[in-house]
Amino acid sequence: MLKKLLDWLDERTHVKDLYREQMIDYKVPKNLTFPYVFGVLALITFVIQIVSGVILIMYYKPVMAHAFDSANYTIMKEISFGWLFRHIHAAGANFFLAIVYLHMFTGIYYNAYKKPRELVWIVGWVIYFTLLTTALTGYLLPWGQLSYWGTVVTTEIPASLADAPILKGIFTAIGETISIWMKGGYKLEDLALGRFFGLHVLLLPLILLGLVSIHLFLVRAAGISNPEGYEIDKKSESEKLAPFHPYITLKEGAIAMWYLALFFFFVFFNMSHFLPADNFEPADPLKTPPHIAPEWYLLGFYEVFRSIPSKFWGFVAFNLILILLLLLPVLDFSPLKSARRRPLFFVMFLVFLFSSMILTVLGTMAPTPTNAQLGMFFTFLVFLFFLSLPVISFLEWGWYRARGGKS
Amino acid sequence: MNTWGMVKTFVLGGATLLFFFIIWIYNPFSPHEEYPLPAQAEEIIKDPRSALEGRELFKQYCTSCHSLRYDGIYLSSVAAKPEWSKIEKSQGKPILEKRDGKLHIKGYFVPRDVYEAVAFQELESLKATFGKIPPDLSTYYLARGPGYLYQFILEPDKILPGTSMPKLFMPEFDKEAPQKVAKIVGYMRSVSEPSPEEKAKRTLMGMLTIGYFVIMGFLLWIYRKRLINRMNL
Amino acid sequence: MEASRRDFIHVALGGMGAVGALGVLYPILKTLAPSAASVTEAKVEIAIDSVPELGMRVTSWKGKPLFILKLPSDITQKYTYKVKKESKNSAGKLNQEILRDKPVFALIGVCTHLGCIPLWKPKGSSDVKAPYLHCPCHGGLYTPWGDNIGGPPPRPLFVPPQKIEGNKLVVGEPGFVKELV
Repeated sequence: MLKKLLDWLDERTHVKDLYREQMIDYKVPKNLTFPYVFGVLALITFVIQIVSGVILIMYYKPVMAHAFDSANYTIMKEISFGWLFRHIHAAGANFFLAIVYLHMFTGIYYNAYKKPRELVWIVGWVIYFTLLTTALTGYLLPWGQLSYWGTVVTTEIPASLADAPILKGIFTAIGETISIWMKGGYKLEDLALGRFFGLHVLLLPLILLGLVSIHLFLVRAAGISNPEGYEIDKKSESEKLAPFHPYITLKEGAIAMWYLALFFFFVFFNMSHFLPADNFEPADPLKTPPHIAPEWYLLGFYEVFRSIPSKFWGFVAFNLILILLLLLPVLDFSPLKSARRRPLFFVMFLVFLFSSMILTVLGTMAPTPTNAQLGMFFTFLVFLFFLSLPVISFLEWGWYRARGGKS
Repeated sequence: MNTWGMVKTFVLGGATLLFFFIIWIYNPFSPHEEYPLPAQAEEIIKDPRSALEGRELFKQYCTSCHSLRYDGIYLSSVAAKPEWSKIEKSQGKPILEKRDGKLHIKGYFVPRDVYEAVAFQELESLKATFGKIPPDLSTYYLARGPGYLYQFILEPDKILPGTSMPKLFMPEFDKEAPQKVAKIVGYMRSVSEPSPEEKAKRTLMGMLTIGYFVIMGFLLWIYRKRLINRMNL
Repeated sequence: MEASRRDFIHVALGGMGAVGALGVLYPILKTLAPSAASVTEAKVEIAIDSVPELGMRVTSWKGKPLFILKLPSDITQKYTYKVKKESKNSAGKLNQEILRDKPVFALIGVCTHLGCIPLWKPKGSSDVKAPYLHCPCHGGLYTPWGDNIGGPPPRPLFVPPQKIEGNKLVVGEPGFVKELV
């Protein structure tokens, strides 16, 4: 019966060919390491966010007078299992960003941004940026104190341009325009809430959906990278390859199940970091909460911004880091791939990874002068990583040539 | 895996785990104040039975300045208005409570804008007296935690110097004062936290979900091993 | 042996998969369940004096429109209705048999055909020369007690439990009507 239905479908759509092409004939290297699973985990988390989001949107009201109550009364107390979907959505946002960061660091470690995968990296960067915007817009929706003040601070950050050493007038105008446009006025009100809501629930997820599809298509087109850092020849080295299904699908499927187990541990038993206490106080435009800091996924950038004494240069610095990330394929032009075969790059990767983590943790601490000095130091290390890439590449070109073009 | 590979895995994996432990589970570096709770008060707060008494105490001591809309409690001056009971019924949603296996209406949840419009005069006069409108306390258990609330209600000025909240309980004269405060906090907890049965249900659900995924992962892993052996991969 | 173990894992995976799918569906469907709060306005009180003779007041009970009607005592002598005798309410009676001698009574104002709200025609019309209820959607006709005269409705209007207490009609508590019929 099922077979007949499948045959009927196949006659009209050729799904069987598609399946064979995409799942069986598509070969992947056998030596893929554990971190390669993060891509699939990100995809799973994206689906979780869409499903839980669709349910929340039915009960959430994007109006100042009702936003807080719809989140904390209607969803948390009135609707059966409303609490579960809010927990899933809040934890999911954090897990999504965490997995995306791990995915990016994996990509950097194995140099998955190099030829022929530059576009994969660039589209991935745009996904990351869109995801940050989605997270920021979603953060305002519960209309608690942290939502409100977090957004106020975020929308004020472009106004730091007014601190520019030259062309003050122009920079001030640009900064203020961006700031007012983000808020939809001089104050954060219904207009901004409605705008953020629309972006968060419709436009940005649609863009993400499109970008993720392109990202996946590009990965298939360019082939998956390899921890050993070379491209496997499909004909002469076929023993190093295995069919995508079941070799990888089941392996990553099993890991995904354990990932979900961890995820639901947080959903059921450890939500205090994902639904922070201060956000259970309704937004009050006349009172700032005592400890106001962005969510952890922005803390690294925030620490860079706040430890640099000049607001203007702080603003420039953290935006520069974002842009340098985008430019990785250009900065790192060495023909060698994967940190496994590049000792200098490996060292600098560690510097970058640990500096990012330390900056994030510093961001959670109180803003003291020592803290600011440490922040400056690790900001310097982050920039050192990016600036060292051309130098390392240059040296590696030398070795590469000396060995007659072989790595 | 060779030794070097193991060292790398250990360092990178360990650092990642440590990082997420710090930001998601316990962060010793971030500034936070501790508000310890006496053991006796903690016991009363955690006791589901104190909620009912606490509700009466809340109405008696707190409602001249505070409302608690999620449980249908409003400023006493507003609730005393002749039209209020009709406004509640026509604009609000009933808040249900299970008593003796039957659903009862405990009060009404009136939308914030409707309430603030009806209570405009009262809220304005509170603002004139205290400098700001005393907040609605529906979610304050979640926002402040039991330790803070207990200490703050007992000695407002010590916890938050300059606060306009008056000291209502005098342990010097009223020996019952600490228990009363604990009961009020226990009541606020009962509004914000799921009931004990509901909590038990959620815990069970969580365990089942986690167990399901762990087992499913092992099944897939075993299934894959078999398949791969059979296919000589 | 090998084969049976493979079978076991197939069954286990399939079974677990099905359980998982149900587990996801269950809470999602549960969020759609009606909120308990929407069906609890269990009691409505109406002062009898506030309803004019041959007039109707509309209020709501358990989220549904409730018609309160007061009919002149001589209505049955003045008018005759061609009631469809075979269409009875859930108590197996005509509504008229339960409600005729009451000065004021309540009906659920939802047409039993497809759920529209009938209109009250106290003066009748050119077709029906007596007070009656007329459903505008598909032309269902009811007597003032909610019994069918014509049109598609399959049964009389529902009558909620109600009693008379002093000068008040209390809907939602058993009295001369014990339960919803």
